[in-house]
Amino acid sequence: MSVSTDRARPVAGRRRGWKHRLAQNGTVRTLGPFVPVVFLWWLVAELDVFPSAFFVGPATVLAEMADLIYKGILPSYLADSLNRLWNGVLFGMLIGIPAGFVVALSTWARKLTWPLLMFFQAIADIAWLPIVIVWFGFSLTAVTFVIVYTIVFPLMISIVAGVEQVPRDVIRAARSLGAGRFRVFTDVIVPGSLPSVATGIRTGLGYGWRALIAAEIIIGSSGLGFMMFDSRRAGEVTGVFVGMIVLGVLWFALDALVLAPFERSTIERWGMVKTAEVGR
Amino acid sequence: MKTLEISGLHKQFVDSYTDEVVTAVGDVSFAVEQGEFISVLGPSGCGKTTVLNIVAGFEKQTDGSVLVGGREISGPSPERGVVFQSFALFPWKTVLGNVVFGLRMRGVPRQEREPIARQYLDLVGLEGFERKFPHELSGGMQQRLGVARVLANEPEVMLMDEPFASVDAQTRRKLQEDLTGIFESKRPTVFFVTHDVDEAVFLSDRVVVLSSRPSQVNEIVTVPLERPRDWRSVLDDPDFRHTVTHITDLLSGDESRVVQADLDSA
Ligand SMILES: Nc1ncnc2c1ncn2[C@@H]1O[C@H](COP(=O)(O)OP(=O)(O)O)[C@@H](O)[C@H]1O
Ligand SMILES: [Mg+2]
Repeated sequence: MSVSTDRARPVAGRRRGWKHRLAQNGTVRTLGPFVPVVFLWWLVAELDVFPSAFFVGPATVLAEMADLIYKGILPSYLADSLNRLWNGVLFGMLIGIPAGFVVALSTWARKLTWPLLMFFQAIADIAWLPIVIVWFGFSLTAVTFVIVYTIVFPLMISIVAGVEQVPRDVIRAARSLGAGRFRVFTDVIVPGSLPSVATGIRTGLGYGWRALIAAEIIIGSSGLGFMMFDSRRAGEVTGVFVGMIVLGVLWFALDALVLAPFERSTIERWGMVKTAEVGR
Repeated sequence: MKTLEISGLHKQFVDSYTDEVVTAVGDVSFAVEQGEFISVLGPSGCGKTTVLNIVAGFEKQTDGSVLVGGREISGPSPERGVVFQSFALFPWKTVLGNVVFGLRMRGVPRQEREPIARQYLDLVGLEGFERKFPHELSGGMQQRLGVARVLANEPEVMLMDEPFASVDAQTRRKLQEDLTGIFESKRPTVFFVTHDVDEAVFLSDRVVVLSSRPSQVNEIVTVPLERPRDWRSVLDDPDFRHTVTHITDLLSGDESRVVQADLDSA
């Protein structure tokens, strides 16, 4: 029994070897799944399934993207969008994080605000656009308002959930080691709720990102959302395709450069969550 | 003066759904001397954890008093450190960070903390693991950390609630022996809750046997075993077997009384 498995293992190991190594390679793992998608895209475009006014292939889109970058339109629109997102996210977190902890920790604050939270969370961010335009005009304030609005509620709700997840014994342990209420908050509640808070920030950012594009489509005069809408108006589907791809790539970059490293060095390092992605 | 004095302790819970009143602790009194290892033993559900939680300051008794060093307790305090069945370590702190935590909270100067923490990590056999995170340790090692974290605070009394119930039997034996060793060298006052008769007898100077709910002290059994102790020689010791048998009889007598009472009331 053991002899035969022993003899079989090196072969299986070697065969698994290169596949395994390939799967371990970061670039292959990240870009690999896109290969069939791009191929299919190219095929559909090449076979003229749809008229070219509706559907363009990868090569056309790439050329257009290069052109837009060369003309400086894409970089400047991108900067505008990111600037708006950053503004919204910053204020959203500045409001959402403290508000979330207050609601999570104080029973009366929870009782007072929970129905409101549920009510306002239910009004979709975009549903605010009409009234926001009336109040703030077609301005950065209006866009920021919508993003902040989108981020604050999921963030608050996940903070409340996160604080509830902190095990009672861990809080008790801190208390009986000499921590007062303030130190229990800073040293136990905050790190203990981090897994859920991180999820909240992720969700909030995702929503905020979408809200931004929606807001730019409706009230923008620049930005990615505006670019896509403007292209459509001009009957230029290529611009729309470029915008969609940039959106996806940006989210990827945000995840790879900010969110994932943060989670890896905190909650994953501490063994508080299963690694967010298989094999990461 | 006794280190810990519990008198007339009584605790009722009101079930939040049914409004039914549950008497978790009937009338419990006993005292613990300085440097004594005392176990509280009883059938599960008899209120052992409740007694410990009251002593720890996590819960308030309905009646009776708990004195530590002659003073009435109020709320949790580092003079009563707790070792939990669930370990309750801080996953975001390293092994060293976990032990240093109590020292930091008590305002021990920074440069003194690490040497003290290392001394207690050595004591429980965790030297070399300072920079690891708790999830990187085995269950047995996690509970060693739980013990080091409490002892580093030099509490009046260390409270332990079934601390070895969630590790495997092999490791449990080892942990019990090591705890005995630590106790014999440091002589902390220990209040140990368990439902395992062998464990209670092996570790303790005296065993407080509780009756089933509403719990009262059935008998306080003095363990006639010499220290230092180890499982090999204790298992061969007739005194150990007599004490275990005696306590088992007390518990099963209690059980048959409960069965009898149920029959009577039926
Ligand atoms: N917070 C609580 N609310 C209501 N009942 C409780 C609570 N804590 C414990 N009890 C009840 O008190 C009794 C004793 O519980 P416990 O002290 O945990 O027993 P043990 O530790 O001896 O197993 C049990 O019947 C339990 O259901
Ligand atoms: Mg218990």
